[in-house]
Amino acid sequence: MFQLTRRHLLTAAGAAAVAGLAGCSDDGGDTSTDDKRAGAMDGFKVGDQFKATEPVSFSIMMLSNQAYPYKADWPFFKELTARTNVTLESTAVPGSDYNQKRSVVVSAGDAPMIIPKTYHPDEEAFIAGGAILPVSDYVDLMPHFTEKVARWNLQPNLDGFKAQDGKYYLLPGLHENVWQDYTLGVRTDVMEKLGLTAPQTWDDLTGVLREMKKAHPDLYPLSDRWSTPPQPGANNLFGLLSTAYGTRAGWAWNPMEWDATAGKFVYSGAMDQYRQMLQYVNTLVKEGLLDPESFTQTDDIARQKFANGKSFMISVNAQTLVNEARKDIAKLPGAKVAKLILPVGPAGATLPGHNRLENGLMISKKALESKNFVAMMQFIDWLWYSDAGLMFSKWGIEGQTYTGKVDDGSFKLDPGIKWGGINPGAPKDLQVDYGFSNGVFAYGGSTNMLNSQFSEEEKAFQAEMNKRQIRPVAPPAPLTIEEREQVTLWDSALKDHVFQNTLKFALGQRPLAEWDAYVKELEGKNSTKYVDIVNKAYERYKKEHG
Amino acid sequence: MVGETRGYRVFQVVNGVVLTVVVLVTLFPFVNIVARSFSGEQEIRSGQVSIWPKGFNLTTYDKVMSDAMFWTNYRNTVVYTVVATVIALVLTTCYAYVLSKRNLKGRGLLVGIAVFTMFFNGGLIPNYVLVSSLGLRNTLWAIVLPNAISVFNLLVMKAFFESLPTELEEAAAVDGTGTYGTLLRIVLPLSKAVLATMLLFYAVSFWNSWFAGFLYMDRQELFPVTVYLRNLIAGATSGTDNTATSEAALQIAASIQAVTIVLIMTPIMLVYPFIQRYFVSGVMLGAVKG
Repeated sequence: MFQLTRRHLLTAAGAAAVAGLAGCSDDGGDTSTDDKRAGAMDGFKVGDQFKATEPVSFSIMMLSNQAYPYKADWPFFKELTARTNVTLESTAVPGSDYNQKRSVVVSAGDAPMIIPKTYHPDEEAFIAGGAILPVSDYVDLMPHFTEKVARWNLQPNLDGFKAQDGKYYLLPGLHENVWQDYTLGVRTDVMEKLGLTAPQTWDDLTGVLREMKKAHPDLYPLSDRWSTPPQPGANNLFGLLSTAYGTRAGWAWNPMEWDATAGKFVYSGAMDQYRQMLQYVNTLVKEGLLDPESFTQTDDIARQKFANGKSFMISVNAQTLVNEARKDIAKLPGAKVAKLILPVGPAGATLPGHNRLENGLMISKKALESKNFVAMMQFIDWLWYSDAGLMFSKWGIEGQTYTGKVDDGSFKLDPGIKWGGINPGAPKDLQVDYGFSNGVFAYGGSTNMLNSQFSEEEKAFQAEMNKRQIRPVAPPAPLTIEEREQVTLWDSALKDHVFQNTLKFALGQRPLAEWDAYVKELEGKNSTKYVDIVNKAYERYKKEHG
Repeated sequence: MVGETRGYRVFQVVNGVVLTVVVLVTLFPFVNIVARSFSGEQEIRSGQVSIWPKGFNLTTYDKVMSDAMFWTNYRNTVVYTVVATVIALVLTTCYAYVLSKRNLKGRGLLVGIAVFTMFFNGGLIPNYVLVSSLGLRNTLWAIVLPNAISVFNLLVMKAFFESLPTELEEAAAVDGTGTYGTLLRIVLPLSKAVLATMLLFYAVSFWNSWFAGFLYMDRQELFPVTVYLRNLIAGATSGTDNTATSEAALQIAASIQAVTIVLIMTPIMLVYPFIQRYFVSGVMLGAVKG
């Protein structure tokens, strides 16, 4: 039977490379679109409702989410056609293997015009094949997109998406602000009983844990979850801490971190900040404040400890706080859990700025041959980037599925419709029955838009988080294909070594006095050469594209 | 029994014990899945369910069985499996029978062509382009034709046919039967064992296959049920879009995988007992020639 093997993938990559060679010849510089304006609006500008001047249809890859499987008769599609004169022809793809099907159809030259749900840097694999459009050449057709990029100061983030030719190939979702959802959840009733105040810094947090330990010497006050490999374990905790220390670890892992003062990239796992972070974690482990099993146990075990009052802190996001942590402790009398305002570390009250771009769309190069190309770009601009389009794809139709506005906080979902934690028990579901809030169309947007989906509790948390300053993002340093192949080879060996030793240092199996020896080991695995290649790419790009 | 020594009896006991353990180990995951499919959310989450359902609950069965898309895809799987198995059996039998004739000119080449595909294939994208440009996408044939002949099955069948005494066919020829008559009236009736085995091999592999359906079908109503199941499992484990809040939703999230697995596994499992008696002899018959 036809089973996917590594060999298939290799063959696929090979075929893509061949297609790439073949595709090189037609890389013309011509970006004129004057003969492709059928159905397009003249003078389309910010605030305009897009409506094609004639009925048009565009093909699209449609991810079918398990939680709300795709339905062709969703009111979303009907209303969309009524508003924009556009019919979407969907290729339904199960969400479980979306990326794979995308690779095959794009490489085979069979891709629909619009290819959503692509996470940077996945699009890089398709650039060489010549099957996707350098969208940066056509953003002048997209007034809402360009306006939001300018107003929210997202150009530096977009620059990070650029390939060696100075163009980007993905239209990402845009966020006005950094959305920090993950933090630690804490048993507030235990804090109250012990007379503890909410910690402002990570050092304060150590103090809180020490007090908890003093009152309950037989347990570990913090026992964490989210330890799925390949990261070293306690991946959320490491992610939060690395952000606080100004490096990259756990879920926030990235081998390269931009050192703004030195003006160059450095290897995250060898940074002194990384050592300081490990020192911090090691102290928690040594004093019995952090359960050493945090790095290896399954989520279920961590949740059971929290549920049985065997620990008082656990990683949460808005959803797991309500659906899991709070439900888990329901049977403990008087137990309460809430999100902890993210403690501040040596890097100050800041948040990294690189998360402000979401997954986004690739456009098939074949779409450029369509006489409706301009209309398609305007349509994309309206649906994915205008306030009206975002509101429509997220919350639906005013007066039918919702009332009020998000900007003045008067927004209200129709009481007969449920979404997330809003209106539980309502007969209809916004995603399943209407097709709104679909991950293919609805993401990104203004902070007010984001807030409209939160409970009051979460809004308060977000208000605090939004006071944090956003750090500048790393400058672009696009690698050539050969360079990328080279660093990929080094990367996995390095990563394994960093992750293994992160765990050893954290648990105290390896003393931090051996840090210098560890950095030497990384150099032996080419960490310096890796950094040099990236820095060279950075210099080269700066020279060529300013 | 000749020479039933003490050593042999010890061997029999050890053999029995080891095999029983193997059976239990193999059976456990299955029984566990069945038990989970009937259990309550709390019990599943806290890991109390082993081989017997705890907190008996049918919410999820209700939910899965009321999903029209599940049944549509289920029907697809049945249709795909039946059609594909019939076609695969016919083609494999014909090919294997031809190859079993030692006097056939170019026999080596024909075997070589088949065996070549065991070691080399065009790869994912060329296959996709081929199927696509033949206009097979979004049809039953995209699933049936590319997998119609399994070389392994072909070789097993070829060896079986070769082991049939040639005198039988010669006698038939003397009585005036042609090539097709010999195949249909003499060879096939004697080959029930291997046919049953092939039927089982093909049916199980088509029933379980998801990749061809996933790759070549662009509409949900054409997917086999395995794609439905796969999406379900991936969705339930990644959980990023998990917005379940009500009790029923949590119950469904906890046991939906088990329920769907049970529903999909049951029919193909029921086929086994009926075919199994042919099974061992079928595979073995081709293996040793005397």
